[in-house]
Amino acid sequence: MLGGFFRKVAGKSSSRDVAKKRLKFTLIYDKLEVNDDVLNNLHRDIVEVISRYFEIDKDAFKMDIRRTEDRSALIVNTPILSSKRKT
Amino acid sequence: MSGKIIVITSGKGGVGKTTATASIGAALALEGKKVAVVDMDIGLRNLDVVMGLENRIVFNIVDIVNGRCKVKQAAIKDRRIDNLFLIPASQSDNKDALTPEGVVGVSEELKEEFDYTLMDCPAGIEQGFENSIAAADEAVVVCTPDVSAVRDADRVIGLLYARSITPKLIVNRIVPLMVERGDMLSHEDMVDVLSVELAGLVPMDDNVVVSTNTGVPLVLQKESKAGSAFRRIARRLNGQNDLPIVVPQSQDRFWKKIGSRLGIGR
Ligand SMILES: Nc1ncnc2c1ncn2[C@@H]1O[C@H](COP(=O)(O)OP(=O)(O)OP(=O)(O)O)[C@@H](O)[C@H]1O
Ligand SMILES: [Mg+2]
Repeated sequence: MLGGFFRKVAGKSSSRDVAKKRLKFTLIYDKLEVNDDVLNNLHRDIVEVISRYFEIDKDAFKMDIRRTEDRSALIVNTPILSSKRKT
Repeated sequence: MSGKIIVITSGKGGVGKTTATASIGAALALEGKKVAVVDMDIGLRNLDVVMGLENRIVFNIVDIVNGRCKVKQAAIKDRRIDNLFLIPASQSDNKDALTPEGVVGVSEELKEEFDYTLMDCPAGIEQGFENSIAAADEAVVVCTPDVSAVRDADRVIGLLYARSITPKLIVNRIVPLMVERGDMLSHEDMVDVLSVELAGLVPMDDNVVVSTNTGVPLVLQKESKAGSAFRRIARRLNGQNDLPIVVPQSQDRFWKKIGSRLGIGR
């Protein structure tokens, strides 16, 4: 308890607080992780949806999940060859 | 009679599943219920030695599932506590000797025979885990206050939710002095991170080791703090939902509280 007091005065956080903070991040990260099956299915579906509206170069289509300190982003990059006109 | 099957699981190994199963099982039996504790750790059985019944094994859970014997023939009666029975694991079979379907197949017979059947789950989330949760009506997740155990508990809780089982949490091996000093996760921290209901809090206690050494049930040791924590957990699982959760305290804290009650010191 005295230790806790000095730590507060010194502005240092306890190892208990550090553990809790790390856990919160880890659990969020763990849940963002997707396996290859999911990624492959997502890849297939996105290509299919975009192809309804655009002519795309399917071989150059790129999809990636990028993680930084505080967020995960799904990055899709595809060359568009032409747009499909609705009739 | 239609009993309940409760699985005791954790994800991470060595956090106290077997200790919890033996103690809660014994405590439920002391409450007057007929209880079976089942060792689901095929090939690595332990519950028998923890309960001091290792010399009396004839049949095991694999025999039951494969129809080589009845539940009644395999269940070993505890020497000290009435209404407490052990169904051991097989030591020689390999891990895939059981299947979830096989376990579900004998669950009615278990529920017919016992008020409570506690499944002592092996560590991990593979076959043994699947077998242990297959027939479970309820689940208790045991976790110690450290980062890796909590992370694994979170994974297991997710898997249980996916089977429509809402688990309850036991925090085991709490060292109150370390929590108070800010060097151990508190149960509040863990409940906050895992968003799960508490079944109870168990302190670190030398009596656990003594009890395992001798095979004398922890809950029969009057002075054991872990033992009385498990007794409270059993009563809560047995429907006494209003029984307050007791937070383990250091000796230091205890005397201070008494002191302030009497109006001395601070
Ligand atoms: N509250 C406690 N106080 C002190 N020691 C404890 C406590 N709970 C468990 N232990 C000890 O921790 C060790 C592991 O416990 P136990 O075998 O019950 O864990 P487990 O989760 O069943 O392990 P496994 O994953 O290998 O099956 C044992 O030596 C046990 O005596
Ligand atoms: Mg065990």
